[in-house]
Amino acid sequence: MITVKQLTKVYQSGKISFTALKEVSVAIEKGEFVAVMGPSGSGKSTFLNILGCLDRPTSGSYFLDNSEVSLLNEDELARVRNQKIGFVFQTFNLLPRLNILRNVELPMIYAGAPAKERRQRAQEVLNQVGLLEWAGHRPPEISGGERQRVAIARALVNQPAVILADEPTGNLDSRASTEVMTIFKKLHRQGTTIVLVTHEQEIAAYAKRILFFRDGQLIKEEIISVPPEVNNR
Amino acid sequence: MNFIEGLRLALESLWVNKMRSSLTILGVVIGIAAVITVVAVGQGGQAVLMAELQKIGTNIFAISVNWQEGEPLGEHDFTYQDIAVIKELVPEITYLAPTNYISAVVRGPKDKKPAQVIGTEADYAQIANVKVVKGRFLSQRPGTTRAVVVLDQALAEEIFGRLDPVGKRVTINNRPVQVIGLTKEEGGFLGIQTIKRIYVPLSFAQDISGQRIIQQMEGIVANREKISAAMAKAVIVLERRHNVKDRYKAISLEEQMKIAGKITGIITLIIGAVAGISLLVGGIGVMNIMLVSVTERTREIGIRLALGARRKDILKQFLIEAIVLCLAGGLLGIIIGAGGSMLVARLAKWPPLISFGTVLIAFAFSAAIGIFFGLYPAGRAAKMNPIEALRQE
Ligand SMILES: Nc1ncnc2c1ncn2[C@@H]1O[C@H](COP(=O)(O)OP(=O)(O)O)[C@@H](O)[C@H]1O
Ligand SMILES: [Mg+2]
Repeated sequence: MITVKQLTKVYQSGKISFTALKEVSVAIEKGEFVAVMGPSGSGKSTFLNILGCLDRPTSGSYFLDNSEVSLLNEDELARVRNQKIGFVFQTFNLLPRLNILRNVELPMIYAGAPAKERRQRAQEVLNQVGLLEWAGHRPPEISGGERQRVAIARALVNQPAVILADEPTGNLDSRASTEVMTIFKKLHRQGTTIVLVTHEQEIAAYAKRILFFRDGQLIKEEIISVPPEVNNR
Repeated sequence: MNFIEGLRLALESLWVNKMRSSLTILGVVIGIAAVITVVAVGQGGQAVLMAELQKIGTNIFAISVNWQEGEPLGEHDFTYQDIAVIKELVPEITYLAPTNYISAVVRGPKDKKPAQVIGTEADYAQIANVKVVKGRFLSQRPGTTRAVVVLDQALAEEIFGRLDPVGKRVTINNRPVQVIGLTKEEGGFLGIQTIKRIYVPLSFAQDISGQRIIQQMEGIVANREKISAAMAKAVIVLERRHNVKDRYKAISLEEQMKIAGKITGIITLIIGAVAGISLLVGGIGVMNIMLVSVTERTREIGIRLALGARRKDILKQFLIEAIVLCLAGGLLGIIIGAGGSMLVARLAKWPPLISFGTVLIAFAFSAAIGIFFGLYPAGRAAKMNPIEALRQE
């Protein structure tokens, strides 16, 4: 599903260059639930942004669904973001003045889906995250946890190959975090591929594999083999 | 993303920023309204001018002397004999009268008023279609210095009050003169009450002004098809009699009015252009606020890009926003402009002329302004880097 080789990102500001990502190689299989951990500034977001085609690597290769992403042009990248990737942000990034249904529909609008199909599908995913009755409301009217669930619904709406979440619980209290993670767990069970950045051990524990980053390098991988009852909480 | 969706996105964005949207279009509204008003009023004025021409008649002309610089006065002046000879030799001309125009003050027993004194003779009544309502008009007696005057009825009322003025005395520039008749003037040009015309014998007018010349002659032809030929013949007669070339100039009222029409057309164009500049300023205003809007909505742009919007989708959205804004401004401007020209027309008593063409051009212009001034901000929005845009607060 995702294969990166020798992925490197160098930020250049004037004469100072900073290597945010250094020769990261990793493969993520279809249906996997992977957590990315590491201290602040270790390159987690940089890594996820490159996976999400929001940023391009300085060097290295990135295969998504067997196609080399670095060879794509701007419009093709936009299409990949639209069709293959569902991005979930720490700060939700909903459009505050559009109602929740419209927010969820947005990726389908850019996909060119007809209005009726859009509405149906948006309602379906809103139902999946348990927020269908809020469809006509605007993001400021609902809680942070609910907003993040709307954002997840939006990420799901185009049936992407992978969900990328950058500290999705970073702005949430523990109850809302649990609600959001429950959804991720459910999605994982249904076979969705998920890559989730976090610096919280408890959140990472939902994943089946954890990638540890430090100073832009992938320093350790850990397969979690927890007893089912712990994973099922 | 198709056009309808683009339009919907644009309308959504404009709607959530109602206040700013309305402020943005203000400049365009004012600009379009100004242009529409100026053009409509100008076209209305021209139409009135032409209607006036039809009313007065298209078969009137005037001949004047083209004075050369440093030329001694008198040598090529018109004479009474000139008039008589032209009338004899050019049968197309049915009436021909000398006319001297002087501004003077008429004083009656009650009040005094400024007036336009026309020194002429009997024929003038036929040429200018003067309506005598009481008494009689001037007689056809060349050279008479009789101190008589034909007053305008309205003017007579003002300076006499209730007295019957016919047979009474008034003074023109302090010269006593007897009232022999009253005329009634219609409307006045373009509905504006012009200074009243009063008529005296030519020689008396010359006495008042102290200049013993005939300023010009005015005439009328029976058949307006023949007016050019008649004018040319008259000029030739004059040139023969005075043995001089290129000294006399004949112009028909129609030509004169057309020149006036052209001038008002040019004035309309100039004022319209000035109004057009305000439209340009309005357009720059749109660009300005669109730029602010793009900066403020950086994060929104980042989100849209992250969700799979292509650069052209972003460009389209902002461009459509600008065009919709300008079209809305244009529509409002047209409505206000129409109202404005209706008001001006009512005050000036002439028909407002808002042609379909004007409205169409105004619309097209608004759209063009939207495209022109929206392209740069929209381009800026489309060029944003998604990561940097998302980082924006
Ligand atoms: N646009 C940029 N220009 C320069 N440095 C950057 C830029 N983006 C991120 N960095 C740096 O790269 C490093 C990794 O950042 P990031 O991937 O956001 O870390 P994390 O998400 O693990 O906290 C940080 O030190 C950060 O300052
Ligand atoms: Mg981060």
